[in-house]
Amino acid sequence: MDKTIQVIINDIKETVTENTTISQLIIRYKEGDADLIVEHNGRFVYPRKYEEIILSHDDRIEFINPNFGG
Amino acid sequence: MGESRQTRSNTIVFCESHFMEIDQLSSQEVIRYKRQIVIPAFGEKGQKQLKRANVFIAGLGGLGAVSAYYLAAAGVGRLKIVDKDHVELENLNRQILYSTRDVGRPKTESAFEKLHALNPLCRIDAQKAEIRKDNALELIGDCHIIVDATDNLETRKCLNSVSVARQIPFIYGGIDGFTGMVTTFVPGDTPCLECLFPETSAATKKVGAMGPVPGMIGAIQSLEAIKICLGMKDLLKNTLLCINGMDMGVKKLNLRKDPECHLCGIQDQCGKY
Repeated sequence: MDKTIQVIINDIKETVTENTTISQLIIRYKEGDADLIVEHNGRFVYPRKYEEIILSHDDRIEFINPNFGG
Repeated sequence: MGESRQTRSNTIVFCESHFMEIDQLSSQEVIRYKRQIVIPAFGEKGQKQLKRANVFIAGLGGLGAVSAYYLAAAGVGRLKIVDKDHVELENLNRQILYSTRDVGRPKTESAFEKLHALNPLCRIDAQKAEIRKDNALELIGDCHIIVDATDNLETRKCLNSVSVARQIPFIYGGIDGFTGMVTTFVPGDTPCLECLFPETSAATKKVGAMGPVPGMIGAIQSLEAIKICLGMKDLLKNTLLCINGMDMGVKKLNLRKDPECHLCGIQDQCGKY
Protein backbone atom coordinates (compact mmCIF):
# COMPACT_ATOMS: atom_id res chain seq x y z
CA MET A 1 0.00 0.00 0.00
CA ASP A 2 1.23 3.52 -0.85
CA LYS A 3 2.46 5.66 2.01
CA THR A 4 0.43 8.77 2.67
CA ILE A 5 1.12 12.26 3.97
CA GLN A 6 -1.12 15.01 5.26
CA VAL A 7 -1.30 18.34 3.51
CA ILE A 8 -3.52 21.36 4.01
CA ILE A 9 -5.46 22.44 0.96
CA ASN A 10 -7.37 25.71 1.24
CA ASP A 11 -7.31 25.37 5.04
CA ILE A 12 -8.63 21.79 5.03
CA LYS A 13 -6.47 18.83 6.06
CA GLU A 14 -6.28 16.20 3.34
CA THR A 15 -4.46 12.90 2.98
CA VAL A 16 -2.55 12.27 -0.23
CA THR A 17 -0.06 9.64 -1.34
CA GLU A 18 3.63 10.35 -0.98
CA ASN A 19 5.38 11.91 -3.98
CA THR A 20 2.20 13.62 -5.15
CA THR A 21 2.95 16.58 -7.41
CA ILE A 22 0.94 19.77 -7.67
CA SER A 23 -0.16 18.65 -11.14
CA GLN A 24 -1.59 15.45 -9.70
CA LEU A 25 -3.27 17.36 -6.91
CA ILE A 26 -4.95 19.67 -9.44
CA ILE A 27 -6.33 16.65 -11.29
CA ARG A 28 -7.44 14.91 -8.09
CA TYR A 29 -9.32 17.96 -6.83
CA LYS A 30 -10.72 18.69 -10.28
CA GLU A 31 -9.33 22.21 -10.34
CA GLY A 32 -9.81 22.31 -14.08
CA ASP A 33 -9.35 26.05 -14.61
CA ALA A 34 -6.44 26.46 -17.05
CA ASP A 35 -5.53 29.71 -15.32
CA LEU A 36 -5.66 28.40 -11.76
CA ILE A 37 -3.40 30.23 -9.31
CA VAL A 38 -1.48 27.98 -6.89
CA GLU A 39 0.30 28.96 -3.71
CA HIS A 40 2.61 26.41 -2.06
CA ASN A 41 3.68 27.16 1.51
CA GLY A 42 3.02 30.85 0.98
CA ARG A 43 4.85 31.07 -2.33
CA PHE A 44 3.30 31.59 -5.71
CA VAL A 45 4.02 28.65 -8.02
CA TYR A 46 4.70 29.24 -11.70
CA PRO A 47 2.35 27.04 -13.72
CA ARG A 48 5.29 25.42 -15.53
CA LYS A 49 6.52 24.10 -12.16
CA TYR A 50 3.34 22.20 -11.25
CA GLU A 51 4.73 18.90 -12.49
CA GLU A 52 8.06 19.31 -10.71
CA ILE A 53 6.96 20.21 -7.20
CA ILE A 54 6.47 17.19 -4.96
CA LEU A 55 4.43 17.71 -1.81
CA SER A 56 5.82 17.07 1.66
CA HIS A 57 4.03 16.33 4.93
CA ASP A 58 2.25 19.42 6.36
CA ASP A 59 2.63 21.43 3.17
CA ARG A 60 0.02 24.12 2.66
CA ILE A 61 -1.58 24.52 -0.73
CA GLU A 62 -3.98 27.24 -1.83
CA PHE A 63 -5.94 26.92 -5.04
CA ILE A 64 -7.28 30.25 -6.20
CA ASN A 65 -9.55 30.56 -9.19
CA PRO A 66 -8.75 33.74 -11.07
CA ASN A 67 -11.42 36.40 -11.57
CA PHE A 68 -11.66 37.64 -15.11
CA GLY A 69 -15.01 39.37 -15.01
CA GLY A 70 -15.19 43.12 -15.14
CA MET B 1 -15.06 78.17 -22.27
CA GLY B 2 -14.38 74.63 -23.41
CA GLU B 3 -15.39 72.81 -26.54
CA SER B 4 -16.74 69.35 -27.17
CA ARG B 5 -16.01 67.66 -30.46
CA GLN B 6 -16.28 64.27 -32.08
CA THR B 7 -13.26 63.25 -34.13
CA ARG B 8 -13.17 61.02 -37.17
CA SER B 9 -11.77 58.19 -35.08
CA ASN B 10 -15.00 58.22 -33.08
CA THR B 11 -13.34 59.87 -30.12
CA ILE B 12 -15.21 62.44 -28.07
CA VAL B 13 -12.93 65.02 -26.52
CA PHE B 14 -13.70 67.88 -24.22
CA CYS B 15 -11.17 70.57 -23.48
CA GLU B 16 -11.30 73.46 -21.07
CA SER B 17 -8.97 76.36 -21.79
CA HIS B 18 -7.23 76.25 -18.42
CA PHE B 19 -5.71 72.85 -19.19
CA MET B 20 -2.86 74.80 -20.62
CA GLU B 21 -1.95 75.94 -17.11
CA ILE B 22 -0.86 72.48 -16.15
CA ASP B 23 1.46 73.50 -13.32
CA GLN B 24 -0.97 75.83 -11.60
CA LEU B 25 -4.17 75.23 -9.65
CA SER B 26 -6.99 77.69 -10.21
CA SER B 27 -9.02 78.94 -7.24
CA GLN B 28 -11.85 76.73 -8.51
CA GLU B 29 -9.56 73.69 -8.44
CA VAL B 30 -8.31 74.50 -4.95
CA ILE B 31 -11.91 74.50 -3.71
CA ARG B 32 -13.01 71.45 -5.69
CA TYR B 33 -10.13 69.31 -4.46
CA LYS B 34 -9.85 70.84 -0.98
CA ARG B 35 -10.68 67.64 0.89
CA GLN B 36 -7.78 65.78 -0.69
CA ILE B 37 -5.39 68.73 -0.79
CA VAL B 38 -5.64 68.91 3.03
CA ILE B 39 -4.19 65.40 3.29
CA PRO B 40 -0.51 65.92 4.15
CA ALA B 41 0.66 63.07 1.92
CA PHE B 42 -1.22 64.62 -1.00
CA GLY B 43 -1.30 68.42 -0.78
CA GLU B 44 -1.23 70.90 -3.67
CA LYS B 45 1.81 69.10 -5.01
CA GLY B 46 -0.16 65.88 -5.34
CA GLN B 47 -3.03 67.69 -7.01
CA LYS B 48 -0.69 69.16 -9.60
CA GLN B 49 0.78 65.71 -10.20
CA LEU B 50 -2.70 64.35 -10.80
CA LYS B 51 -3.43 67.22 -13.17
CA ARG B 52 -0.46 66.15 -15.29
CA ALA B 53 -1.58 62.51 -15.33
CA ASN B 54 -2.74 60.70 -18.42
CA VAL B 55 -4.59 57.49 -17.59
CA PHE B 56 -6.03 54.82 -19.88
CA ILE B 57 -9.12 52.93 -18.73
CA ALA B 58 -9.76 49.77 -20.72
CA GLY B 59 -13.43 48.92 -20.47
CA LEU B 60 -16.37 50.77 -18.96
CA GLY B 61 -18.22 47.96 -17.21
CA GLY B 62 -18.50 47.40 -13.47
CA LEU B 63 -14.82 48.09 -12.82
CA GLY B 64 -14.25 50.84 -15.38
CA ALA B 65 -17.34 52.82 -14.44
CA VAL B 66 -16.11 53.04 -10.86
CA SER B 67 -12.45 53.77 -11.56
CA ALA B 68 -13.34 56.35 -14.23
CA TYR B 69 -15.67 58.09 -11.79
CA TYR B 70 -13.10 58.30 -8.99
CA LEU B 71 -10.23 59.32 -11.25
CA ALA B 72 -12.25 62.07 -12.92
CA ALA B 73 -13.52 63.25 -9.55
CA ALA B 74 -10.00 63.29 -8.11
CA GLY B 75 -8.81 65.59 -10.88
CA VAL B 76 -6.72 63.40 -13.16
CA GLY B 77 -5.74 65.68 -16.03
CA ARG B 78 -6.69 63.36 -18.86
CA LEU B 79 -8.62 60.11 -18.95
CA LYS B 80 -8.80 58.02 -22.06
CA ILE B 81 -11.76 55.67 -21.84
CA VAL B 82 -12.34 52.89 -24.35
CA ASP B 83 -15.19 50.40 -24.66
CA LYS B 84 -16.96 48.76 -27.58
CA ASP B 85 -20.32 48.04 -25.97
CA HIS B 86 -23.69 49.68 -25.56
CA VAL B 87 -25.44 50.02 -22.21
CA GLU B 88 -27.72 47.06 -21.44
CA LEU B 89 -30.39 46.80 -18.80
CA GLU B 90 -28.48 43.97 -17.10
CA ASN B 91 -25.50 46.31 -16.60
CA LEU B 92 -27.31 48.61 -14.24
CA ASN B 93 -26.88 46.57 -11.05
CA ARG B 94 -23.25 47.64 -10.91
CA GLN B 95 -22.21 50.03 -13.69
CA ILE B 96 -22.82 53.26 -11.83
CA LEU B 97 -22.14 55.66 -14.67
CA TYR B 98 -25.36 54.66 -16.44
CA SER B 99 -29.05 54.97 -15.79
CA THR B 100 -32.14 53.39 -17.28
CA ARG B 101 -32.48 56.02 -20.00
CA ASP B 102 -28.94 55.20 -21.21
CA VAL B 103 -29.90 51.67 -22.28
CA GLY B 104 -28.96 51.22 -25.91
CA ARG B 105 -26.45 54.09 -25.99
CA PRO B 106 -22.73 53.51 -26.47
CA LYS B 107 -21.09 53.28 -23.07
CA THR B 108 -18.39 55.72 -24.15
CA GLU B 109 -20.98 58.36 -25.03
CA SER B 110 -22.91 58.00 -21.80
CA ALA B 111 -19.75 57.79 -19.68
CA PHE B 112 -18.34 60.87 -21.39
CA GLU B 113 -21.44 62.89 -20.49
CA LYS B 114 -21.47 61.75 -16.87
CA LEU B 115 -17.77 62.24 -16.31
CA HIS B 116 -17.77 65.63 -17.95
CA ALA B 117 -20.75 66.70 -15.86
CA LEU B 118 -18.95 65.43 -12.76
CA ASN B 119 -15.71 67.26 -13.49
CA PRO B 120 -15.41 69.51 -16.54
CA LEU B 121 -11.79 70.20 -15.57
CA CYS B 122 -10.82 66.63 -16.45
CA ARG B 123 -10.15 66.05 -20.13
CA ILE B 124 -12.05 62.96 -21.24
CA ASP B 125 -11.13 61.19 -24.46
CA ALA B 126 -13.83 58.59 -25.09
CA GLN B 127 -13.35 56.11 -27.90
CA LYS B 128 -15.79 53.40 -28.92
CA ALA B 129 -13.52 50.58 -29.97
CA GLU B 130 -12.64 46.97 -29.35
CA ILE B 131 -9.18 46.58 -27.84
CA ARG B 132 -7.20 44.07 -29.89
CA LYS B 133 -3.61 43.01 -30.31
CA ASP B 134 -3.27 45.13 -33.45
CA ASN B 135 -4.63 48.38 -32.02
CA ALA B 136 -3.84 48.29 -28.28
CA LEU B 137 -0.59 50.23 -28.63
CA GLU B 138 -2.24 52.95 -30.69
CA LEU B 139 -5.27 53.20 -28.40
CA ILE B 140 -3.13 53.52 -25.29
CA GLY B 141 -1.03 56.13 -27.06
CA ASP B 142 0.86 58.37 -24.65
CA CYS B 143 -1.08 57.35 -21.54
CA HIS B 144 1.30 56.39 -18.74
CA ILE B 145 -0.95 54.14 -16.65
CA ILE B 146 -3.27 51.34 -17.81
CA VAL B 147 -6.29 50.54 -15.66
CA ASP B 148 -7.65 47.14 -16.65
CA ALA B 149 -11.41 47.00 -16.50
CA THR B 150 -11.94 44.39 -19.17
CA ASP B 151 -13.84 41.14 -18.84
CA ASN B 152 -11.58 38.59 -20.48
CA LEU B 153 -8.02 37.32 -20.37
CA GLU B 154 -7.30 37.80 -24.07
CA THR B 155 -7.82 41.58 -23.94
CA ARG B 156 -5.87 41.77 -20.71
CA LYS B 157 -2.96 40.08 -22.46
CA CYS B 158 -3.04 42.74 -25.18
CA LEU B 159 -2.88 45.45 -22.52
CA ASN B 160 -0.12 43.61 -20.68
CA SER B 161 1.99 43.43 -23.84
CA VAL B 162 1.80 47.21 -24.19
CA SER B 163 2.56 47.64 -20.49
CA VAL B 164 5.72 45.54 -20.84
CA ALA B 165 6.75 47.07 -24.17
CA ARG B 166 6.27 50.65 -23.00
CA GLN B 167 7.31 50.03 -19.38
CA ILE B 168 4.14 51.54 -17.95
CA PRO B 169 2.16 50.25 -14.96
CA PHE B 170 -0.81 47.95 -15.55
CA ILE B 171 -3.41 47.75 -12.79
CA TYR B 172 -5.23 44.44 -13.09
CA GLY B 173 -8.66 43.94 -11.56
CA GLY B 174 -11.14 41.13 -11.94
CA ILE B 175 -14.39 40.02 -10.35
CA ASP B 176 -16.59 36.94 -10.28
CA GLY B 177 -19.76 36.85 -8.21
CA PHE B 178 -18.89 37.78 -4.62
CA THR B 179 -15.12 37.67 -5.19
CA GLY B 180 -12.63 40.04 -6.71
CA MET B 181 -8.89 40.42 -7.10
CA VAL B 182 -6.48 43.22 -7.89
CA THR B 183 -2.75 43.76 -8.33
CA THR B 184 -0.45 46.35 -9.85
CA PHE B 185 2.07 45.15 -12.41
CA VAL B 186 5.07 47.45 -12.77
CA PRO B 187 7.44 46.36 -15.55
CA GLY B 188 10.92 45.71 -14.20
CA ASP B 189 9.69 45.58 -10.59
CA THR B 190 7.04 42.89 -10.59
CA PRO B 191 5.85 39.90 -12.56
CA CYS B 192 3.65 40.66 -15.52
CA LEU B 193 0.26 39.14 -16.28
CA GLU B 194 1.91 36.48 -18.46
CA CYS B 195 3.99 35.25 -15.50
CA LEU B 196 0.70 34.40 -13.77
CA PHE B 197 -1.32 33.24 -16.73
CA PRO B 198 0.92 31.86 -19.47
CA GLU B 199 -1.86 29.77 -20.96
CA THR B 200 -4.36 31.21 -23.36
CA SER B 201 -7.57 30.46 -21.62
CA ALA B 202 -10.94 29.49 -23.01
CA ALA B 203 -13.39 31.89 -24.56
CA THR B 204 -14.88 34.78 -22.59
CA LYS B 205 -17.72 33.79 -20.33
CA LYS B 206 -20.19 36.09 -18.69
CA VAL B 207 -19.83 35.81 -14.94
CA GLY B 208 -22.16 36.84 -12.16
CA ALA B 209 -21.43 40.17 -10.55
CA MET B 210 -22.58 41.45 -7.19
CA GLY B 211 -22.51 45.25 -7.62
CA PRO B 212 -20.46 46.23 -4.57
CA VAL B 213 -17.65 43.83 -5.58
CA PRO B 214 -16.61 45.68 -8.76
CA GLY B 215 -17.24 48.78 -6.67
CA MET B 216 -14.53 47.73 -4.21
CA ILE B 217 -12.08 46.46 -6.82
CA GLY B 218 -12.57 49.46 -9.14
CA ALA B 219 -12.08 51.81 -6.20
CA ILE B 220 -8.83 50.06 -5.25
CA GLN B 221 -7.63 50.26 -8.85
CA SER B 222 -8.32 54.00 -8.95
CA LEU B 223 -6.49 54.45 -5.65
CA GLU B 224 -3.51 52.58 -7.05
CA ALA B 225 -3.56 54.83 -10.13
CA ILE B 226 -3.62 57.94 -7.95
CA LYS B 227 -0.72 56.62 -5.86
CA ILE B 228 1.29 55.94 -9.01
CA CYS B 229 0.66 59.51 -10.19
CA LEU B 230 1.91 60.76 -6.83
CA GLY B 231 5.00 58.57 -6.92
CA MET B 232 3.97 56.75 -3.74
CA LYS B 233 5.87 53.56 -3.00
CA ASP B 234 3.45 51.25 -1.24
CA LEU B 235 1.58 49.93 -4.23
CA LEU B 236 0.00 46.50 -4.58
CA LYS B 237 3.22 45.32 -6.22
CA ASN B 238 4.03 41.60 -6.14
CA THR B 239 0.80 41.10 -4.22
CA LEU B 240 -2.49 39.78 -5.48
CA LEU B 241 -5.20 41.08 -3.17
CA CYS B 242 -8.15 38.69 -3.16
CA ILE B 243 -11.40 39.75 -1.55
CA ASN B 244 -14.24 37.37 -0.79
CA GLY B 245 -17.43 39.27 -0.16
CA MET B 246 -19.20 36.15 1.11
CA ASP B 247 -17.21 35.95 4.34
CA MET B 248 -15.32 39.26 4.05
CA GLY B 249 -12.13 37.26 3.80
CA VAL B 250 -9.11 39.11 2.49
CA LYS B 251 -6.05 37.27 1.27
CA LYS B 252 -2.79 38.67 0.01
CA LEU B 253 -0.95 36.32 -2.29
CA ASN B 254 2.74 36.98 -2.83
CA LEU B 255 3.59 36.96 -6.50
CA ARG B 256 6.96 36.39 -8.10
CA LYS B 257 8.37 37.30 -11.44
CA ASP B 258 8.94 34.31 -13.67
CA PRO B 259 12.50 34.58 -15.01
CA GLU B 260 11.44 32.38 -17.91
CA CYS B 261 8.31 34.38 -18.75
CA HIS B 262 8.10 34.50 -22.53
CA LEU B 263 7.18 38.20 -22.37
CA CYS B 264 8.87 40.04 -19.50
CA GLY B 265 11.55 37.40 -18.85
CA ILE B 266 12.89 37.66 -22.37
CA GLN B 267 12.78 41.42 -22.15
CA ASP B 268 14.87 41.35 -18.98
CA GLN B 269 17.50 39.31 -20.77
CA CYS B 270 17.54 41.61 -23.80
CA GLY B 271 17.16 44.94 -22.04
CA LYS B 272 14.41 47.45 -22.58
CA TYR B 273 12.63 47.71 -25.90
